[in-house]
Amino acid sequence: MRLPQFEYLRPDSLKECLLMLEESNTDARVMSGGTGLLVNMKHGVIYPKRVVSIKSLSELSSITKDSEGNVQIGACVTLSNLSKHPLISQKFPVLHNAVRSVGSMHIRNMATLGGNICLETRCWYYNQSRQWRQAKGLCHRTGGSVCHAISGSKRCHAINSSDTVVVLMALDALVYVMKKDQERSIPIREFFKDNGAHNTVLEEGEIVASIVIPKTAEFTPAKYIKIQHRQGIDFAIASIGAALKRNGKAGEMTIVVNSIASAPVMLKKTSQIIMESGFKEDAILKAAKEARSEIGTLTNLFSSAGYKRQIVEVLVRRVLYGIKDEMDLRRDKA
Amino acid sequence: MPIKAKEYGVIGKRQPKKDGLLKTTGRSQFTDDIILPGMLYGKIIRSPLARGKIIKIDTKRAERLAGVKAVITQKDCPGIMTDLDRQLLCNDTVNFVGDEVAAVAAIDDDTAAEAAALIKIEYKPLEALFSIEKANDKGAPVIHSGHENNYADEFDYEIGNVDEAFSVSEYVRVGEYAFNPNHNCYAEHHVVIADYSIPGKLSIWMPNQSPLFIQKSMGGILGISEGNVRVFNLNTGGAFSGRIGPRKHDFIAALLSKKSLRPVKIRCTADEEFIVYSGGGYSRYIIKTGVMKDGTIKATDATYLFDCGAYWISGVNFLHRLKYHLFPQIYHMNALRWKERAIYTNNPPNMYPHGAGFLQLKLAQETELDLIAQDLGMDPVEIRLKNAVSKGDTNLTRAHYASCGLKECIQKTTKISLWKKKYGKLPPYKGIGIGCGAMNSGGYDRSAALVKIGEDGRCSLFIGLPDMGQGSHTTMAMIAAETLGIATEDVDIVAGDTDAAPFDIGAFAQRGTFFTGNAVKVACLDAKKQLAAVASKKLGVKPSMLIFRDRKIFPKGKPGKALTLKDVISSDMNSMGGSCIMGRGFYNSPAKTMEPWESTLAYSFGAQVAEVEVDQETGIVTLIRVTVAHDVGFAINPMAVEGQIDGQVFSGMGQIMTEECIMERGVVLNPSFLDYRLPRTFEVPEIDYSIVETIDPYGPFGAKEVGEGPLVCTMAIANAVSNAIGYPVKEYPITPERVLQAIQNKKKAKGNEPLDRLF
Amino acid sequence: MKKMIVLNVNGETHEVAVNPWKTLVDVLRNDLRLTGAKRACEMGTCGACTVIMDGQAILSCLTLAVECEGHLITTIEGIEGPDGLHSLQKSFIENGAVQCGFCTPGIIMTAKALLDENPNPDDIEIKDALSGNYCRCTGHIKTIEAVRMAAQTDREGD
Ligand SMILES: Cc1cc2nc3c(=O)[nH]c(=O)nc-3n(C[C@H](O)[C@H](O)[C@H](O)COP(=O)(O)OP(=O)(O)OC[C@H]3O[C@@H](n4cnc5c(N)ncnc54)[C@H](O)[C@@H]3O)c2cc1C
Ligand code: SF4
Ligand code: FES
Ligand code: FES
Repeated sequence: MRLPQFEYLRPDSLKECLLMLEESNTDARVMSGGTGLLVNMKHGVIYPKRVVSIKSLSELSSITKDSEGNVQIGACVTLSNLSKHPLISQKFPVLHNAVRSVGSMHIRNMATLGGNICLETRCWYYNQSRQWRQAKGLCHRTGGSVCHAISGSKRCHAINSSDTVVVLMALDALVYVMKKDQERSIPIREFFKDNGAHNTVLEEGEIVASIVIPKTAEFTPAKYIKIQHRQGIDFAIASIGAALKRNGKAGEMTIVVNSIASAPVMLKKTSQIIMESGFKEDAILKAAKEARSEIGTLTNLFSSAGYKRQIVEVLVRRVLYGIKDEMDLRRDKA
Repeated sequence: MPIKAKEYGVIGKRQPKKDGLLKTTGRSQFTDDIILPGMLYGKIIRSPLARGKIIKIDTKRAERLAGVKAVITQKDCPGIMTDLDRQLLCNDTVNFVGDEVAAVAAIDDDTAAEAAALIKIEYKPLEALFSIEKANDKGAPVIHSGHENNYADEFDYEIGNVDEAFSVSEYVRVGEYAFNPNHNCYAEHHVVIADYSIPGKLSIWMPNQSPLFIQKSMGGILGISEGNVRVFNLNTGGAFSGRIGPRKHDFIAALLSKKSLRPVKIRCTADEEFIVYSGGGYSRYIIKTGVMKDGTIKATDATYLFDCGAYWISGVNFLHRLKYHLFPQIYHMNALRWKERAIYTNNPPNMYPHGAGFLQLKLAQETELDLIAQDLGMDPVEIRLKNAVSKGDTNLTRAHYASCGLKECIQKTTKISLWKKKYGKLPPYKGIGIGCGAMNSGGYDRSAALVKIGEDGRCSLFIGLPDMGQGSHTTMAMIAAETLGIATEDVDIVAGDTDAAPFDIGAFAQRGTFFTGNAVKVACLDAKKQLAAVASKKLGVKPSMLIFRDRKIFPKGKPGKALTLKDVISSDMNSMGGSCIMGRGFYNSPAKTMEPWESTLAYSFGAQVAEVEVDQETGIVTLIRVTVAHDVGFAINPMAVEGQIDGQVFSGMGQIMTEECIMERGVVLNPSFLDYRLPRTFEVPEIDYSIVETIDPYGPFGAKEVGEGPLVCTMAIANAVSNAIGYPVKEYPITPERVLQAIQNKKKAKGNEPLDRLF
Repeated sequence: MKKMIVLNVNGETHEVAVNPWKTLVDVLRNDLRLTGAKRACEMGTCGACTVIMDGQAILSCLTLAVECEGHLITTIEGIEGPDGLHSLQKSFIENGAVQCGFCTPGIIMTAKALLDENPNPDDIEIKDALSGNYCRCTGHIKTIEAVRMAAQTDREGD
């Protein structure tokens, strides 16, 4: 499929980039690895006048440790470079696993972490060619007033299917965002909005500059699982990230599921069960059951809601057993 | 007595593909690699409606766009039908989403796309039908007049006394199976270049598996003689039963070229690939089987309902009628009743999935067989052996087996896979299953070949058989080399241009090795005779006493006296009254009848045992191992045989486990290689191969087909899944969701699968 | 507006005028007439268009040609050495890993990038690398084998 026509801009510095974005208003899109953006552009669902390429900005392409020991990952670090980096593979194997599960080796060589977080939500009625979409007519997201996925819905329910965010959320990462003359940091847990059409809190002209994983997450027992129809190249049926952060004696459990709604879902009640009862067999089973209802209404799923619910229950159970095993192992070692 | 491979110089040994070098270096040309001088790029404007009336087509703005060289609509091809019920471009109605309404050709794809967007078409929507049930309803709209019940094709067949056979049966079982649409999924998308700028002469480049059918079909429809359609069949990136005839875009490219007087390329984009795919439509089998208590099959009564989509692809779809022969093909029975109904809907037109839908029929039949075995307390292997055909048998539909290794294949696979140790003894959610099948090596048919041997002893072999990857050109070269006593690398294959190709109907119905192989052998024997005549004079011995080996000719038992082939040819050709060595071969089936199946002289046979593991919580199935034994008559190139087995096990696992065009109101929801889930590297099972050789009396050197036989044995995978979960899965593909559903059904039914309808 | 760019492909530099919306696969195939990299899905799903850029396997259908300036691109046409075929090419031929051949250039380029970085991959690593490459004909059974054998030959050759 062909790309629509556009003007291509490649800023030499971050500063120039932010200026370009400011000047372009809504006409511009940033492109990092392009594996998400170009596919959408080929489908004709996004057709920016300008594409601002940020991948070669050196400011956004490194992995560093700050004075407090937090790990800062530039938005344009490719997923391959990220997974190979010793800081990640050794200190945050759970992130390494999540990154490795994205797409194929080719995709990971091109795709970036910033792009993965900002990945547009997906929907069977949206991620299609113009010719295909003509058969269905416009939906909320393409300028119409209906949703084909959920009839009667007032908004877009396209799905967030980024795999890395479940882990970044479980590890309580921060997202540094920048815009001309403005910088802010947002906890990634507050970065997403449950709206398929606008699923992040990014403002016009704002870009993700880096993602910061707090030092405290370093020794956190954590686990990531992705269930997919096909191993290797495939989006998730659902993916899950969980981490147990220890505040003194009491643990703070975080479980995040993605590919089931427009925003990643933090399973608070489910986590609460574990925090109250620990990793006992029956608590794990109860938590997993709880997750089924806690995920709320499931929509637009690429597979039936019943099946997704089942998968979420299984994922929660497996991820909790995984963390339990990890803790047991550590205890044995200690 | 099987002839031992070592007696042969060339065949029977692993031979890498002749075009391996071209293909691994990027040198081999595929259609999309060609850019002809002055070539334009075409784009098709398709219907966004599943059914509707065309009110108005406005092409003016598109025609005025700079760079646009031709715009065509129905007005440019009035009355031209590509199928009995299908206009080349839609006249007043459209019948599926993607139906071809107009087309443009422009100097580049960007302009063509822009022009396509400028064509305005007004439609009035009509009620559309998306399922065979709805199409069958009383009062349903009629899609094609003349077919008031929406049946595109109806065929009833009966052989033997069915009612009587059922009445004597001691146990009767009925089962119903559903198959969702799937796609052949060639790696190379549909693409064509047509040059129709010279009146009455069409040159066409396209991936295909039968240049002759393309010639006949396109010539017939466009009203020119078939010889004036010159098909360049370069490399073909996979065909899998789907590239036998021309598709709409092939005709459209020709028309655009005729109008613009320039060559036109049309290439299907990823989503169009799922519009023109014409894969397997939704189908359903209802099968009633009557057996004796000892497992002897008495009768089968089968109904086959098939969603053929908006049009009936008339040139090739007749095969759906004839599928009945698969029921008694490898199992004896006394009677068979068959009812085929192809039903129009407003889904995309369907033809065949890989394997022409034979796998689906066999899935239904063999699942039933397993269930019957279970009900009778028999082992699935036992019931198969009990009914299996053997060498010398003639089956119910009068297919005769001059060679048959079925039982040997069953025994081999069960032995190697340790069936006895595993069947019924595996832990829960691990399963083992067996599947058996056979496949015809062509039917009533013929092929020609020409061979020319140059002064340097190199041989040019002219054939009309395409090689879509199966390695048929290498096999043909090996047959030629063996016959002439030269090496495979001495043989150059000349193919891919119908102007130069001898008669050949193409590479389908698993006929290549058998028919073209035999023709090549005849051509080479002809050349050999000419060589022998010359050599016998020089060596002073009778031609019958000459041995051809290692590029030399010598009197039997006297290799020291050998003359090189080169010298024999060269000295004769350059002598007074000398000749040039050119062999011609024509193989016409010696069958006594032209009846389908009855006329097939050789069938391959096979058995497979599959082992799977099911994740009972997610429904995800892992195919661990497939043990294959296939009777190919004689393996001319064992490496190619293995390659065929690999590809077919892979295709079978895809069709059985994951591949599905998920349909919603006539559109495929997952038209991409990402969401249409063909297995990839991680899904690949371990494969254990046994090649069984039965030396067929008709096959070239005893060889039979291996182009589709292994595919129809892959139902072993489905049986293994059913075995693992203890409940049969009756809707395909067996996606994780359906596996979980079956597990739940089992719990509900407390283990007893209810007879008859499951859904 | 077309832009002049300089592409370094297989060690040669090419000056081409391209529109910014042209992908690398189109420029390689149509402008440079290097047709080894195939164009199939054009959506990143099949790997037929794989080329190597700065040592890594990338999809040329999702790469803008204008982004390739200053990078080293290798296509299937550029991996034959002075001594003949690359060990992967030989191994693919000898192990029957080529059937229709449409996917072959992409798979070989993927495998080359893998072996250049990891000369000793295990089967999981090979499968992981090749999972982005679609191959209908061989079912990947012989392609995995061919990569394994090529790696072994390379190791023994060293
Ligand atoms: C075949 C295939 C398989 C895939 N499989 C998976 C998978 O398994 N899991 C998965 O998670 N994803 C998958 N993807 C989606 C995608 O490749 C990845 O999510 C990838 O990480 C996106 O990164 P990118 O750098 O290529 O993003 P881009 O395409 O460059 O950008 C994606 C979006 O984010 C915006 N953006 C990019 N960078 C920034 C930034 N710094 N600040 C603000 N906005 C930004 C862009 O404007 C665009 O809207 C797959 C894609 C393909 C084609
Ligand atoms: S979820 Fe509904 S509104 Fe959103 S893209 Fe899909 S069909 Fe459109
Ligand atoms: S053509 Fe690039 S991945 Fe398919
Ligand atoms: S060899 Fe045909 S797709 Fe791979």
